[in-house]
Amino acid sequence: MKEIFTSLRRTPYQSLAGFLVLFFTLFLSLVLLISLSFVNGFLSYIETRPQVTVYFQPKTPENNIFKVRDELSASGKTLSIKYINQNQAFEIYKNLNKDNPLLLEMVSADILPPSLEIYAKKPIYLPEIAEYLKKQGDVDEVQYQKDIVDKLLNLTNVLRRSSLIFFIYLIFMSIIVLTTSTLFKIALKSKEIEILRLLGASNNYIRKPYLIEGLFFGCAASLISFVIVIGTFFYFNPFLKSYLAGVHSLTLDLYVTKLTVWPMNTVFFAVMFSLSLIFGCIIAVVSSFLATQKYLKV
Amino acid sequence: MIVFDKVSKKFPLGNFALNEVSFEIDNNEFLFLVGPSGAGKTSVIKLILKELLPSSGSILIDDEDISSPVFKKVTELRRKIGVVFQDFKILLDKNVFENIAIACQIKNLSHSQTKNQVKEALSLVNLSKKEGVFPVQLSAGELQRVAIARAIADERKYLLVDEPTGNLDPKTSWEIMKIFKKLEGKKTIIIATHNSDIVNSFQKRVLVLKEGKLVKDQRKGGYNI
Repeated sequence: MKEIFTSLRRTPYQSLAGFLVLFFTLFLSLVLLISLSFVNGFLSYIETRPQVTVYFQPKTPENNIFKVRDELSASGKTLSIKYINQNQAFEIYKNLNKDNPLLLEMVSADILPPSLEIYAKKPIYLPEIAEYLKKQGDVDEVQYQKDIVDKLLNLTNVLRRSSLIFFIYLIFMSIIVLTTSTLFKIALKSKEIEILRLLGASNNYIRKPYLIEGLFFGCAASLISFVIVIGTFFYFNPFLKSYLAGVHSLTLDLYVTKLTVWPMNTVFFAVMFSLSLIFGCIIAVVSSFLATQKYLKV
Repeated sequence: MIVFDKVSKKFPLGNFALNEVSFEIDNNEFLFLVGPSGAGKTSVIKLILKELLPSSGSILIDDEDISSPVFKKVTELRRKIGVVFQDFKILLDKNVFENIAIACQIKNLSHSQTKNQVKEALSLVNLSKKEGVFPVQLSAGELQRVAIARAIADERKYLLVDEPTGNLDPKTSWEIMKIFKKLEGKKTIIIATHNSDIVNSFQKRVLVLKEGKLVKDQRKGGYNI
């Protein structure tokens, strides 16, 4: 630690330049990471909204409808299936037309069809579910908005791919910029490295101060950027609350577990900070390693 | 022990820095390597440090052939050798203490060991009061002493000194040579110089190089230019 502060004191401008590059990279990465988590959570939320509604013929026995429901549930492709019987359908009809007594007089529960409202786990399952339903004997009509689902699927795929490309670009750019700035710093110390080599210093000994300094900058930059991002997040919290008023929660599917993005919670922030810290340390260490490598050939 | 066996160093333009030079140096021997500028003194030092590779012949240090292409223990070799370079090679952004401590830190000595060794070396070269001073604040003689302190601080087996009095006035030169006299018998000391007064007064072994060839090897010799 003492060596780091001595180095900072003796080369303040080079150190500041290196730190600022790392800080802006991490700040942008963290903003991007949180934004992507929100976008992904929101996309996952939107993707579960479309549904297939299947209307059965009015006289269809409930057992037949339940059989279809159970088979769909067993497929593992549905998120939820809601059964609406004729009486419930009539209640809905009455609510929708309560201001029109004429329409209410004309309709009774017997003529309304029972139905299933099916929410798929992923929108790509919707066409498959719709096809399956059309093949069932008692089905009167299958409602499924294919165009909207296809457009939504295209949009979410484009968003996911472009954010991934942008993220890879950011990592690549950070390593290049940091390696170059560390190279400048080390170039000024090439004489020192030559002397150390002649005195018998190993590659690790020569590399160590640069790696430790990189690690220190990585930790400090990720901590500061995290504090700023979190401060900004809290500042905009009331706006987010009103904007996402109808959304119960946004989650990110991480294959092994699900991470709740919204509402704000400490687990999400802890994960974001850890990722930022790991990312900061890795790019700082990798760039220091690459930069010193050039001067360590015997 | 250092053994040079028919060592030649030829540069790409065809000129020889050393031409079939052979000699043996025993452990704890004190010797001078003399000759006019360009005779090959610095090349001998650079070959021992493996800063240069010989074009032909072999160099053995403690029975290891360091001239062999398969010799990879360069770091270990250099840790056995303390060097006082002609241009001192002092790190300008480190103070006197830090410059000397580097030699100990490279060998992974503990903090307290490093501190003791540096203090001892500073006392030997008479610079105890200047351990916190930076190189820009030191005279040429003091810089030379720092370079010597760094070379002797961690008790390396060999001490190579390249032109220790080249940039110094006669009084300071003698003071510097007194330091090497104190180390006699404790390690192998090779001093490359063309200062005949100093060589003659010490009456030690002298290897005389001329145009890359060893022309004289005198056990208790003197030297006349």
